[in-house]
Order: sequence, then C-alpha cells, then structure tokens
Amino acid sequence: MIQPLLDVRHLHTYLQSAGQQIKAVDDISFSIPKGETFCLVGESGSGKSVSALSVMRLLPPGIASHPGGEILFNGQDLLQLDDAGIRAVRGAKIAMIFQEPMNSLNPVLNIGEQISEAIQLHYPDLTGEETEERTILALEQVQIPHASRRFRDFPHQLSGGQRQRVMIAMALACAPRLLIADEPTTALDVTVQAEILRLMRQLQDDTGMSMLFITHDFGVVAQMAQWVGVMQSGKLVEVGPCSQVLRQARHPYTRQLLAALPENLERPTGVRLQSRQPANQSLGTSTHLLSIRDLKVWFPIKKGLLRHTVDFVRAVDEVSLDIPQGQILALVGESGCGKTTLGRAVLQLEKPTSGSIRLQGHELTGLSSRDLRPFRRKMQIAFQDPQSSLNPRLLIETTLTEPMKVHGIGADQEERLELAAQLLELVQLNRDFLWRYPHEFSGGQRQRIGLARALALNPEFIVCDEITSALDVSVQAEILQLLLRIREQRQLTLLFITHNIGVVEYLSDKTVVMYQGKVVEQGDTAQICGNPRHPYTQKLLAAVPRLLRSH
Amino acid sequence: MTNHGVNRESFGARIWRRTLQGVGVKLGLAWVGLLVFVAVFAPFLANSMPLLMSKDGVISAPVLHYLNIEDVWVLSSFFLALAVFRLRISTVRRILLFLLGSAVVAVCANLWVKPPVLVIYDDFRIPAYTEVNWRIMPPVPYAPTDYLRDLGSKGLEAPFQSEGHLHLMGTEENGADVLSRMIHAARIALSIGLIASGIALTIGVVVGGLMGYFSGIVDMLGMRLVEIFEDIPTLFLLLTFVAFFGRSLYMMMVIIGVTSWSGYARFVRTEFLKLRKQDYVQAAVASGLPLSSILFRHMLPNGVAPLLVSVSFGIAGAILAEATLSFLGLGVVDAPSWGQMLDQAVKSSTFNWWMAVFPGGAIFMTVFAYNLIGESFRDAIDPKLSGQSEAKP
Repeated sequence: MIQPLLDVRHLHTYLQSAGQQIKAVDDISFSIPKGETFCLVGESGSGKSVSALSVMRLLPPGIASHPGGEILFNGQDLLQLDDAGIRAVRGAKIAMIFQEPMNSLNPVLNIGEQISEAIQLHYPDLTGEETEERTILALEQVQIPHASRRFRDFPHQLSGGQRQRVMIAMALACAPRLLIADEPTTALDVTVQAEILRLMRQLQDDTGMSMLFITHDFGVVAQMAQWVGVMQSGKLVEVGPCSQVLRQARHPYTRQLLAALPENLERPTGVRLQSRQPANQSLGTSTHLLSIRDLKVWFPIKKGLLRHTVDFVRAVDEVSLDIPQGQILALVGESGCGKTTLGRAVLQLEKPTSGSIRLQGHELTGLSSRDLRPFRRKMQIAFQDPQSSLNPRLLIETTLTEPMKVHGIGADQEERLELAAQLLELVQLNRDFLWRYPHEFSGGQRQRIGLARALALNPEFIVCDEITSALDVSVQAEILQLLLRIREQRQLTLLFITHNIGVVEYLSDKTVVMYQGKVVEQGDTAQICGNPRHPYTQKLLAAVPRLLRSH
Repeated sequence: MTNHGVNRESFGARIWRRTLQGVGVKLGLAWVGLLVFVAVFAPFLANSMPLLMSKDGVISAPVLHYLNIEDVWVLSSFFLALAVFRLRISTVRRILLFLLGSAVVAVCANLWVKPPVLVIYDDFRIPAYTEVNWRIMPPVPYAPTDYLRDLGSKGLEAPFQSEGHLHLMGTEENGADVLSRMIHAARIALSIGLIASGIALTIGVVVGGLMGYFSGIVDMLGMRLVEIFEDIPTLFLLLTFVAFFGRSLYMMMVIIGVTSWSGYARFVRTEFLKLRKQDYVQAAVASGLPLSSILFRHMLPNGVAPLLVSVSFGIAGAILAEATLSFLGLGVVDAPSWGQMLDQAVKSSTFNWWMAVFPGGAIFMTVFAYNLIGESFRDAIDPKLSGQSEAKP
C-alpha cells in the first residue's frame, strides 16, 4: 500500500479555558491518500475545526496542547516541527480556506496584492511581472471572469461566491499538496455552493492535491468525499469509504445523524394524509386565510445633499399569493431574494409600498397600530437567530405572559402563568423554565421558546422565518416534527420561509419560489419539487446536494 | 454549544459580578463608598459641637439641634435610599420612588428645619456647650468654619504642629482644621458629580431615545441639536454665568448637566437604532405591545449598559469642572470645596504642602475611582472580553 499524504495518528488536542481543560479532539486517527478527499462531518462543537487547525498548527500555543499523537505529512511529523519548519509547510504544502469569505480577505488590499503576497513569500526569486502573471493565472484557474481586469478589485466589489474563489486561488497559488477546507460553502447560496464544489473537484483533478473537507452537510459529503469521518464530541466515531458510511452506517450516532436529515425524516404518522384531505377541500371552496395581491415593498436609495430618492431596492415586487387555511406554505429562495421582507410585510413589521394583504378578508395595509392590534393576535412570527429572538433581560415568564396580558388572555396573572407553563409543555420543555433567563438555554431550546411565544396569543397564522437554519441537523429534525404536531393540534396555517429544499419537501403542502423580489413559480410542493417548470427553480433544485444521487 | 451549564443569574447580576472581578474596581468602589459615608455623616464626623453631652443630669445632642436644611435632607435621603432598595420592586420603580421621596423630604426640610444661626467663634464655645458634666465630641472636633484665631491660633500650621490642638491635616490661614473642611467638601464633590450627570443623563436618554426609535426627520433635527450642544465650551459658559449671576452650586450643576448630555444622546440613539431591528423587539411589535412597553421594557434596559459606562466617566468630568472653577476662585463661597482649598494653597504667600496635597489627592482619587469603575464596567458589558473570562469551548 502506498504511503498516504496525511496520516493523523491518535491525535489529542486539549484546550485550556478559564482553568478548565476541554478535550476538543480526543484520540482521532485517519489518513488521506494522495489526490483524494477526506470529509470530516459532525455537529457544531464536535471538534472538526479544531482537528483541522491542529493539522495546520494554527491554534494558539498557550491555550492548546497536544498531549499525544502524531500528524505525519509525507512521513514528517508536523507536531515536532519548530516555528520556521511549520511556516515552510503552511501555505506552500498545506493551504487552508475558511467559511466566511468576507472575513478571510483583507478589505483594504486589492485581491491581486493579497494573492501576490502569498506567491512572493514562497517564491522569493520571482520578479514583479512573473508574480503578476502567476496571480492572474491563479485567478483564471478559479474561473474568475476577466481575471486580468479584476486583479485590482477590492474584496467588497466581489460577490460571496467570487470571494470564496479568490480565497481558493490564494490557497492554491503555491500549489499545495493538501487543501484544508473548513465549511467553505456554508455561508453561500445553494446554487453558488454547487459551482464552488464543482470548481474544487475540477481543481483536484487538475492538480492531484488531497483535500481535508470539513462540513456538517451530508449532501456535500456525498458530492465531495472518497472518505468520511464522523465526529462526535472530540472523537471520531466512524471512518470509512464514503458510500459505505452513507449507505450502511455502523455507528448509532452516524445513523442518528442520517435519519435526522429532512429527506430521511419520518412524518408523524397520519399527519400528511389527514392534513391534505381537508386542505384540498378548503381549496375547492377557496377559503384563503391570507391573500396577498400585487404587494410591493420598495426601499428608497437616497443620494446627494437633499437626500432625494434616486432609485429603489425592489425587495418585494408585485407578489401575489394565497395561503389556504390550515396549510403550510413554504417560501423558498436564495439570500436577498426578498423572502424575509415579504414575511415581515405580511405582519406589518415592514410597511408595504403598495398592494394589498388580506387576512380572512380584512385589509391589513394602511391600518394604524391601534386598529391593527386585534389582528396582531391572529398572526405571529418566529425568527431565525436563537441568540437575538428573546429579550436577554426578561424572564421567559414575562416574555410569554406580557402579550397575553395586553390582549386580555387569561383572567389574572395566575391563569396566564398556567397558560405559559402549558405552552412550554407543548413545545416539550420543562414548566420550571418559566423562571429562567434566555442565556440559560441552548439554541434549540431557545427556538422552542420562540415558538411558544408565537403561540402565546393562540394565533391562526405564524410566519416561521428560517427557524431551523441556525440549528444542527438533529435539533432541526426535532423542531420540524414538533412544528407538524402543533400545527395538527392547533389547526395552524404557516408561512415557512427557508432556503433548505429538504425542509420544504418534508414540511410543506405548497411552495412558492422567489427570485429577485418576484414569485417565479408556485404550486403544490410535490409538483414543484418533482417537476419544476421555471428555469430558476430547475437550477435551484439541481444545485441541492443530495445524499444519494439516485434519489 | 448545546450545553451551557445552568446559570441562574439574571443579566444584571451577571454584569455586576463581572464588573466586580478586578481589584481596581473594588478599590474604586471602596473609595466612592467612603466618600458617600463621609458626605452623609459629615456633621457627626467633623463638628465643634458635642455629639452628646450631659449637663446637670439633662442629656442632649447639640449636633442634632444645629443640623441645617441640607444636612437633614442628605441624611434622610440616604436612609430613604437604603429603605427603598430593600423593597422587592423593579429598579425603575425604586428610582422613581426614591426621587419622589427625597423631593418630599426637601420640601419638608425647607419648611420645618430652622437651625439657630451660627456666629463664628462664639456659638461653638459658649459655656452652654463647654461647661458640662461630660460630653462626647465627634472624631474631628472642629467645624469647617470653626476658625481658631480667637484661641490664639496662628493659622497655616502643618499637621501635628499646633500646640494644644490636634490637627491631622494641619490648619488653613484662618486656623480652621483642614481635615474637617475636606470632610464637608466631599458633599460638593459627590453631589455635583451625581446631579450634573443625572440631569445630562435624563436629557440624553429622552432625546437619544426619540431620535433612535423614530429616526427620519426626528433623528435629523435631534442630531443637529446634539452637534450644537457639543460645540458649547462648558467651562467658558460657566465663567460667563458666574460673572453675570454670581456664584451658586446649583447653577453649576445645571450648566454642567445641560451642556454634557450630547454624548449620552448619541449613545442611546445608536443603541436604539440597533435594537429596533432586533428580533425580540420585532416580536414585541408583532405581539401588539404598547409603545411604552417596547421602548422602556424591551429596548432601554438592553441599551443602558454602555450609557452607564460613560456616566461614570461623566461624573469624574463634572467633579473636575467644579474643582477647576473653584480653583479659579469662581466656585462656591460659603462652603468649603476641594478646588477652593487648592486655590487657597496657591494664594498664600508661603507654600504649605498640606494645603495642596490633601485636597489635590482627594480630587485625584475620586476621579481615578470613577474612571476605574467605568473601565471595569465597560469590560464587563463587552461580549468580546467576557468571552475570554467565561469558559467557552
């Protein structure tokens, strides 16, 4: 057997934090053959990134220590190298790209300078012209159009995908043998992600480099990896060839992760059938809970001394859609397509420029906040970011009972407390949690409390704005199942805003696809996901990384 | 990230605990605490009247008899504060209750407290207070205005140098005890800092809050107003007012307060602009909560922390402003103040170190203490710094 390029043996990485020792990486062993890709998969906090940083020796020496193990790169133990030695390896032989392309590039240097600097560092003999040629070559390699002209562009002039391409160009400028990619596509839209992944595979074929690819997305794993390692709290619980791990996982944790993917998730028994039936009937009699007609939300762009309006950002542009009573409507689109603005406009949190929004036949636009108050009770919202969705200064009890008090739900505080406790039980939390502050909870628990708050007024309609996007896949699965169960119990109508096609297929009855502020396609979820008609929908669906390509 | 460990303390308690982590802040708080104690109990700490005496079997407390309006007000406000902050009600209510109570006390004191007018020299030493069976004197048995000339004091005596009397910090030109004057001057230092900053804070929060929440045209007008007030040089305005209207401590407080709110308004405005977009504020709007609840329950408490940091620096600034004025000889006349004592030290023909070192040191320590507190508080609310001190895998 030929020697692998990277051979990690019994690596331990301990981190020192506030007097505590955390075993961030606890005895992991894996190897990457030349020209192949090894994917490290796991949920947040499992030690994936720390493993990668250990290979690069990028962890701060005062905080991190390696009590055991070796990292053999071409037979040389990286942990034994001195500072000068590891610097010769970094960049030249092992390069790294990160998740957030905006933070990884220096905003005050143009991209040409940043790539040239890396080249000059490792090839000091090159002349200025040769360096520039190489830089342009590197940019062409990552398929930046008109590379010689974009050479002088600054990071803010590039899109997210282009920035990540520049990062890759920088990493590959010195033709490294190993590329470490730490969640390189997590911050990108799914169509851009597909392009970047394709580019990385192509570059690997061209250069014969190996890759250590870190991700939490099994779809990405299926596309990229020859080898997969699954991490759980610092340990590598399962290692093997990609197809074997994904199809015949042996370790229970791997199986649990795979089962939590929306495409593998079981719907609560009977829910789909029961909910479809009455929903279709109500469609026949066309009782729409919410109707939106020609809705526009335009934000003015003001310029000049007198701040006159020169143009508009058309966040939502002539959108019309209906949400039938008791159904889940998924609103899909990439970042910046206006889906969140639409959700907020429905709740009158954003003032629409024109158009009409009718809830059960009542026009909502143009109402004063006083006239709107009775309708506030009927429609609520749950948010994406678990960090900012709850007021850090208020007890959960106050967060839940204050809206009830304002709307006259519950005769006295006693009764409202009981209602709030019941809400917590509904979202499967302990009723004692009423007397805690938001910072005492994990992200998943906060999302449940966010749902409980949205349910506090017993609304008929809830806008769920990416409520599972910030969560790990197993927590996402729990929240989705919970949502379906509550929908069933309370006869809720949901507008579910998301960019995750898997979640759409699992959850929704109807789907609306938005692109650049406009609705490009709407219809039954099965029809849209199975047989998309609009070219953008087709492109979007094709870009979704699937676990099994035969699916 | 999924398991934070159970942490039951509230947001405020957490900030407070983190603020108290350093050594510097404890020293700062100890100094301010000492100042408060000294300022409140000044008449009992440094006075020429006996605390308690017995004459012909009748026990009396002349100090109480001679308490003036200000003394009564300060003392009762202090105990009122202690009582109010033991009540189990929200902080805002406590503060309102305290302000209301102390206003009532102020009115009552003005109506009913009529202390006998003190004639310097005579009253302190009339036989009524000296020829007694026994008497307990305060720790510093000299009033700040007790000039010992009549007892043959030469004045300007260094500490421990005068015959027959013990002056821990020496005497000034009239023979009055420097320590006693220092103790009574603590009041001015404290009150000017707190009241001037209080005025500035109130204006700043209201103006900044309105700018931040409503933005648009309100914001634009507010910012112009802020810029106008930022351009007023406080010290020269104070000099002008003193020249026109004479010297008054209250006028100084008001002017310092009215000219220094612009920084607070900027702080509140920025915080509110940021908070308005927070999900929990949006959720509060979506729940149809009234505007007052959104502003004061959901926004202000989350934006107040950076404000309090700048308040502690503002207090230090106000104290310095008063000291500067008094040093220039434009401060208050009838009551001693640290700045005025420094002025005395400079004006006398010979250099007397005790006249400069003690008040100068006190000003330095007080400003330093507030800066330490502000610094530590700023570190405590900074999430980036707190991430280092808290365990975070």
